[in-house]
Amino acid sequence: MLNITNLHAAVDDKPILKGLSLSVNAGEVHAIMGPNGAGKSTLGYVLGGREGYEVTDGTVTFDGKDLLDMAADERAAAGLFLGFQYPVEIPGVSNVQFLRTAMNAQRRARGEVEISAGDFLRLSRAQADALGISMDMMKRPVNVGFSGGEKKRNEMVQMGILDPKLAVLDETDSGLDIDALRVVGEGINRIMRKPDKAVLLITHYQRLLDIVQPDFVHVLAGGRIVRSGGPELAHELEREGYGAIAA
Amino acid sequence: MTLLALPSNREESWRWSDLSALPEIAARQPQGGVPERLPWLDCATGGPRLLFVDGRLVAAESNPGIVGIGAVDIAPSDHALARLVGHEGWTLRLASGHAPLGLVQVIHASTGAADHLPARIELDVDAQASVVETFLGHGWTNRLSEITLYKGARLMLARRILSEAGYVSLADRVTIGEGASFTLTTLAAGGADTRLDGEVRLAGDAAYAEAGGALLARGRQRHDANLVVRHEQPHGVSRQVWRSVADDQATCSVAARVEVARGAQKTDGEQSLKGLLLSRTGTINSKPELEIFADDVKCAHGATVGELNRDALFYFASRGVPAEEAKALLTGAFVADALERIGEEAAREAFLQDAGAWLAGKQADTE
Amino acid sequence: MSDVRNREAQEAAERAATYEWGFTSDIEQEFAPKGLSEDTVRFISAKKNEPEWMLEWRLKAYAKWLEMRAPDWAKLNVPPIDYQDAYYYAAPKKKPELKSLDELDPEIRRTYEKLGIPIEEQKVLAGVEGARKVAVDAVFDSVSVATTFREELKKAGVIFLSISEAIREYPELVKKWLGRVVPIHDNYFATLNSAVFSDGTFVYIPEGVRCPMELSTYFRINAANTGQFERTLIVADKGSYVSYLEGCTAPMRDENQLHAAVVELVALDDAEIKYSTVQNWYPGDAEGKGGIYNFVTKRALCQGRNSKVSWTQVETGSAITWKYPSCVLAGENSVGEFYSVALTNNRQQADTGTKMIHLGRNSRSTIVSKGISAGRSDNTYRGLVRVGPTAENVRNFTQCDSLLLGDQCGAHTVPYIEVRNPSAQIEHEATTSKISEDQLFYAMSRGLSQEDAVALIVNGFAREVLQQLPMEFAVEAQKLLGISLEGSVG
Repeated sequence: MLNITNLHAAVDDKPILKGLSLSVNAGEVHAIMGPNGAGKSTLGYVLGGREGYEVTDGTVTFDGKDLLDMAADERAAAGLFLGFQYPVEIPGVSNVQFLRTAMNAQRRARGEVEISAGDFLRLSRAQADALGISMDMMKRPVNVGFSGGEKKRNEMVQMGILDPKLAVLDETDSGLDIDALRVVGEGINRIMRKPDKAVLLITHYQRLLDIVQPDFVHVLAGGRIVRSGGPELAHELEREGYGAIAA
Repeated sequence: MTLLALPSNREESWRWSDLSALPEIAARQPQGGVPERLPWLDCATGGPRLLFVDGRLVAAESNPGIVGIGAVDIAPSDHALARLVGHEGWTLRLASGHAPLGLVQVIHASTGAADHLPARIELDVDAQASVVETFLGHGWTNRLSEITLYKGARLMLARRILSEAGYVSLADRVTIGEGASFTLTTLAAGGADTRLDGEVRLAGDAAYAEAGGALLARGRQRHDANLVVRHEQPHGVSRQVWRSVADDQATCSVAARVEVARGAQKTDGEQSLKGLLLSRTGTINSKPELEIFADDVKCAHGATVGELNRDALFYFASRGVPAEEAKALLTGAFVADALERIGEEAAREAFLQDAGAWLAGKQADTE
Repeated sequence: MSDVRNREAQEAAERAATYEWGFTSDIEQEFAPKGLSEDTVRFISAKKNEPEWMLEWRLKAYAKWLEMRAPDWAKLNVPPIDYQDAYYYAAPKKKPELKSLDELDPEIRRTYEKLGIPIEEQKVLAGVEGARKVAVDAVFDSVSVATTFREELKKAGVIFLSISEAIREYPELVKKWLGRVVPIHDNYFATLNSAVFSDGTFVYIPEGVRCPMELSTYFRINAANTGQFERTLIVADKGSYVSYLEGCTAPMRDENQLHAAVVELVALDDAEIKYSTVQNWYPGDAEGKGGIYNFVTKRALCQGRNSKVSWTQVETGSAITWKYPSCVLAGENSVGEFYSVALTNNRQQADTGTKMIHLGRNSRSTIVSKGISAGRSDNTYRGLVRVGPTAENVRNFTQCDSLLLGDQCGAHTVPYIEVRNPSAQIEHEATTSKISEDQLFYAMSRGLSQEDAVALIVNGFAREVLQQLPMEFAVEAQKLLGISLEGSVG
């Protein structure tokens, strides 16, 4: 589904990713772990297509298409979902309006008909309920006045509604207490643990991986993947720290 | 008609203005005729309707009801533009406790020349009215309104300037009595340049005043608002919420002042002036001013200028929303801050739609 | 020249002992003839033994000034000033010499004590006989501190002279920068200053030099009275740093009513200038009689990349204050800061603020203004933030807070924001408040006197700005705020 080959990327002319390669197939959950400053968030933003994250070398294909050639919204329409470490507040635009606009834009881009107001409301209610977000909150401006945990749950509501093929989740576990972590983790499992979907979990800690069991774990350090392995690698990291492994 | 000397930019209250087009417009002949589409607001109860074309009432399209047409009882003005208004205009005068049925709607259309018209709104004790004025056309529409609200009276005034070209200059002199409430919301969403002047006096105890709006400008358009809200008595509350959007080479300027007179204790005055630049060549000017002579007051203002939040744009994009659509939505939300304050639902919806149409790049409702 | 002025000139000449109507370098008399004319300008220039170019510069300014009108846009009520009824050059006035501090006006003595100024320093400030040496000895170890400082500065390559000396000794440097930031024709008072400036300070910090001391320290000892038309020029060359403090917390009595100073700062690449002012000129009496008119033009040119200028001011004195220390942020990544506390009491009027003119990419500015009004005074913040069309990614944050003490004063905020580049982020906030009964009662119930409680709350209000002051002055400035408010609450 996702093929990253020899990816180099720079921010403000400073190289961050230095030859990263990774393959993710449908049905798989990959975890990318690594110390602070390893380039984890940069990877997320490069895949999401954020301005200012310049790809200087390498290729990324998504379902066989050149991902890097697409604008951020085209990537979303193609089925890529980026979960933000710091979800953005948008005063004046309600969650419902935001999501409906997004959903219809994606559908139009894919040549599908727009969703009816009733269907959309049913869909969003179901997803919001599953993540403990009230419809009242859905009518409030996007992320404005939400706690850290609410913002992350809101990301999962969006993921559930938009129903992507590939989710790239950047530090989705940061700032969550243990209960919220469980809600978010189970949300990921429920929405994305399917044979035709894949997840790239970018995380610093093991704890989310106890709930969302990865099939593969990769260690990102110095802008490259320095080790790959199965779920056991995450435990090893937890025990021995990044220093030992990344060295 | 001959124009007397226009003020220069050296005068403080005209520093951001450009009146250079006025003499030429004033010299033109009106083309005449009634606009094909008249954007009356559709509301359940039909209130008075007035259509002025080039400053003259079109009786066939009007239903003035309680609104009087003819000589207006109004004091002369020394305002550079407002002083040009004559004596003939319209008057809405309500007796104590009265309210007209439905919205009072006034459409001012200009077919290319200059016209000048006074208006008088006088609401006696506890009277209430909602007035919506719509401006169309492409000449110079020049207005002076004198508004007096007696004890407990309430006036909601909403104005939308949809004129596709030319100049619209609106001056208001407002006196608000004890416990009376005045709200004025102006939307500039056409192609004309505008000059808005307001002098709002909270002359009675515990009066309420709201004066603000949304100024949308593109091309080489200039919007210029100049507003003074003067608290003369204690316990007054005022709000000035302005949202300006400048695209292309356009300029939006808002100078808004809160004055608190000696003794006007417990005044609560707030200003929020925000500007949004959509292009590299636009200009936003703001001057949120406080002039305070009483100590027990709560006065604050906030002003910001910037472009659309890049994080928010990327957030939209990452959810699949194309850039243009995201920009329109975010700009709409920005503008809505000012328009959502309109209390009459029919007017609010119409104004939001007009703003939306402008954002979508269409000339709102006037073709 | 009119007969009247002729006669006055004559009188002045007689008063001034051996007056000669010539412009030789060693004239001993104290006064220029009363009034302002081309001759006055020539007199001053000659008196200061200036080169020809400087005289021409002054004459050009004078000619320009004749065509100008005093500004009237400020929220100030300025009585008409008779510019012909003043002396434009007077040798620094000698204070009456006192035998001991006991002879000092008890009012001033009390203020010194409240400010916590050391006894020996009080003697210097008050002009007690023989005090200078004592003060120097007491505060520092033996030798003349002034001389020590001078030597230390010289070693570092710092040029630190009176502007008159600098004109003679470093004519090229002065010529290059004088009037560059505040041009001759800038405004009425700056133009007047350009014509008749009496003296002032010139500072040049060479490339890469960090000035080894706060130049404030020097002033504190010297407490130099540079006259009513002060001219200051500070040039910080590439990568240099200097902190400069003018003024003094001790009350300054001066007979000159009009003070029209000009301060020009230039910061080249990576240079930083920190300019702090404590202004406590005589504010006039409670009824507004007397007091200084302080009409000052201060402007900095952040010309270089990464240059930085920080203005900090505590303005408590003067009957009328009209000043807007500004920054022209021309350099890429340049930074301008303005931190201000302006306190007015009784009949004082202050119209003060700043201009931040953003021309360079990524230039940033911060404005924090705290206005405190008491008595029957008026206090106005007036500011401009302008972003030019080519200045990308400009950031400005402005916070203007007003505190009113009593219901007979005024507090005004007049900010102008002009933005012509969409990448700018400009934020402006302003609040107005008073000291609440609750706050006062709470403090007093803990044992503070009402005056102390007010001072405490006012200092809290102004804290953000006071923190910017060099350490030794921050404490005094704090006390100064309390003293200036005495009698305003109750």
